[in-house]
Amino acid sequence: MESVTPQVVFTIFGLPIKDTVVSTWVIMVILIAFAWFIRKYKPGIAEIIIDSISGIIATVMPDDTKVIKFLSILGTLAMFLIIANIFSIIPFMVAPTANINTTIALAVVVFFAVHGFGILEKGPWGYIKSVASPIFILPLEIVSQLSRTLSLSIRLFGNILSTDLVVAIVFSIIPFILPLPLVALSLLTGVLQAYIFTVLASVYIASAVVVEDKETERRRLKHEASQPS
Amino acid sequence: MWELDAPTLITVLTIGFSTIGIVLGCIVPAIMEGIATKQALESMGRQPDAANDLRTTLLISMALLESTAIYVLLVILILIFVNPLLDRFFI
Repeated sequence: MESVTPQVVFTIFGLPIKDTVVSTWVIMVILIAFAWFIRKYKPGIAEIIIDSISGIIATVMPDDTKVIKFLSILGTLAMFLIIANIFSIIPFMVAPTANINTTIALAVVVFFAVHGFGILEKGPWGYIKSVASPIFILPLEIVSQLSRTLSLSIRLFGNILSTDLVVAIVFSIIPFILPLPLVALSLLTGVLQAYIFTVLASVYIASAVVVEDKETERRRLKHEASQPS
Repeated sequence: MWELDAPTLITVLTIGFSTIGIVLGCIVPAIMEGIATKQALESMGRQPDAANDLRTTLLISMALLESTAIYVLLVILILIFVNPLLDRFFI
């Protein structure tokens, strides 16, 4: 268990700095250097990355949504999580998302982003009206918002921690060829969980910003009826 | 009968019931994921045009189903490695 729980590396004024925080700093440096590099030398790579991420986001948003408004936060989440989830394959490094504080921080960011985009899109009064249109929906809505934040953080933390733990346990028993498939499984799980976190965040943002009144509903039905599939 | 002191008894009971718990907590999400995958594959075979939408929805719902097994795993990891009863009463 000591190999996967966060260890104190050093202290600043009595404040302990865990190794997951150091990994987060390393990932920040890597991402900033990568962004600077492709801005300076290879602008085509940035276009490929932006196109792929916005394509992923656009599959779960409604059709006429402008994805570019949400691309800054969701694309940053996707790139950070893809690197952070597979970061434990580098020797002497741990994945930052194997610490529950990191994932809770990311889920709280998503929580505030959902309500911020909802208020920006509909205005404060319109957003409150859309959340609590019959007033007895409001407690259910509050509970569902809190539980989805909790489950978003615990899902990411549990997946990354469990795969790291399985690799550590098998490595302590047989430290030869046998851990390799499990390392491959942990890579797959990390990339898949980054995808799922991003897609779920965009689903939540889409559910907050979508305006489903009768006029757009009627227009959409008419549009679908006019197109034979 | 054997003479067990209280921390040993608590540890043994915790490990035994954790094993039962993780078996039950892995069986149910596995069966449900199998059902979801089966239905999604049948739908993909019936309508290959909608395969991309189905794949996205399948991945999201598989993540939501998988998270219940992860909750069980987390509770059991807490019970085994940082047992609150042992910490509070005996150490």
